[in-house]
Amino acid sequence: MPLDIDRYAHLSSPIQRWDPRFKIGALGLLVLAIALIKTLPVAVIALVIAVILAFMSGLPFGFVTHGLSFVTIFLVPFFIIMPMTYPGEAAMHFLGLPFAWEGFRLATLIFVKAVAIVLCSFVCFGTSRFDISMIALQHLKCPKVIVQMLLFTYRYTFTFLEEMRRMQTSMRARGFVPKTDGYTLRTYGNFVGTLLVRSFERTERVFKAMLSKGYQGEFHTLVTFSSDATDVVKALVTVMLMIALMVLDFGGYFHQAIHAWY
Amino acid sequence: MHISDGILSAPVLVTGFVGTGILAAATLRKMDMEEVPKIAVITSVFFVASLIHVPVGPTSVHLILNGLVGVVLGWRAFPAIFLGIILQAILFGHGGVSVIGVNTLMMGGGGLIAYGVWQLRHHFNIKNKEVVFGALAGATGTISSGIILALALLTTGEEFFATAGYALAVHIPIMITEAIVVGACAGFLKRVKPEVLAGERPQQLESE
Repeated sequence: MPLDIDRYAHLSSPIQRWDPRFKIGALGLLVLAIALIKTLPVAVIALVIAVILAFMSGLPFGFVTHGLSFVTIFLVPFFIIMPMTYPGEAAMHFLGLPFAWEGFRLATLIFVKAVAIVLCSFVCFGTSRFDISMIALQHLKCPKVIVQMLLFTYRYTFTFLEEMRRMQTSMRARGFVPKTDGYTLRTYGNFVGTLLVRSFERTERVFKAMLSKGYQGEFHTLVTFSSDATDVVKALVTVMLMIALMVLDFGGYFHQAIHAWY
Repeated sequence: MHISDGILSAPVLVTGFVGTGILAAATLRKMDMEEVPKIAVITSVFFVASLIHVPVGPTSVHLILNGLVGVVLGWRAFPAIFLGIILQAILFGHGGVSVIGVNTLMMGGGGLIAYGVWQLRHHFNIKNKEVVFGALAGATGTISSGIILALALLTTGEEFFATAGYALAVHIPIMITEAIVVGACAGFLKRVKPEVLAGERPQQLESE
């Protein structure tokens, strides 16, 4: 599981050099627009834009496709459920099961949109250090409390993942084999409880250490943002693409995906 | 369990964000600076614990534990789950950025309902009530999320009616595993470190 989303943040590309404040703001708008698309051709255009952005960002191909594999696994069932269950007369029957093209097109639309959105968010958060992205969020008026908690949570996730792996190793060493039974589930209950108690106690220590170093609810950072004309131009281009997508989608140039492919 | 990008209609997405905003603001009220790192740490424990896969017959399900978040954090379960959902959207991209609102309402709403069920234990005087009410909280947390998910699909359009039914049906085996895990965990915490549980400690981490 690639938890360190920012491991390629050091690469240099037009996206990496983009001021994170503008990047998150502009790509956020683009993502919302993609989520609202209802016609297939526009969804495909959005996917093309997302792929171009991913290429521009210089993120390694394997890193991006690995991230996409999760969303793909989640969406595959839709290609089976939607054509079978679409209300109304089915166009044909396949192995005795109804198959409606409306449902199939809808599943395609959902898939294309989801992949485009996930690509955009990979481009957005994979191209800056995580802490810098979070500070940029704070500049975008995201509440300070939320940003603080996100930074802590992200940091601790790695620590506890380590801890959990250690505990799992020791469970296996003592001969634990997970099965479908109450014993396994109760063991996992105790496992989670142990993890909670350990982390709770660790936090108390860490928090005292932080207080003694003068923590007052905010991290002071040496990160400064600077933006120039190119940052603004990149953001403007993104917003224009977003408006173009919306106009194409709502303008009545294409049919909604449930009615036709185009 | 969460919903992916690209499925729900605009009104449902917007309702998700508005509802999440209101509930997050309400449940974050009177928050002490001291609570920030604690909530964050517990959030990351749950984040990590949800990577545990439990075998169910030939397949496996991962733990959801939103009921347990309610049992441990009380009202603060909602912002904690909000954080978890944001991180999942950013890191994994499953359940993406546009559905953060809906997913938080779904999972966090379940967490709040589970907390309500958990608090009912004060009215009962039975043996092992932490285990019993922990299990009930685990079960209601999961099934409430399933119901909210089904509602989100139903309000999006009639083409999703059948999908909503499947989604709800899938939650039933998960509900049973969650009930046992959360019940065992609540009993464990009661024995080992009761102050971690919501409603068991005087001042820390408690909203009021």
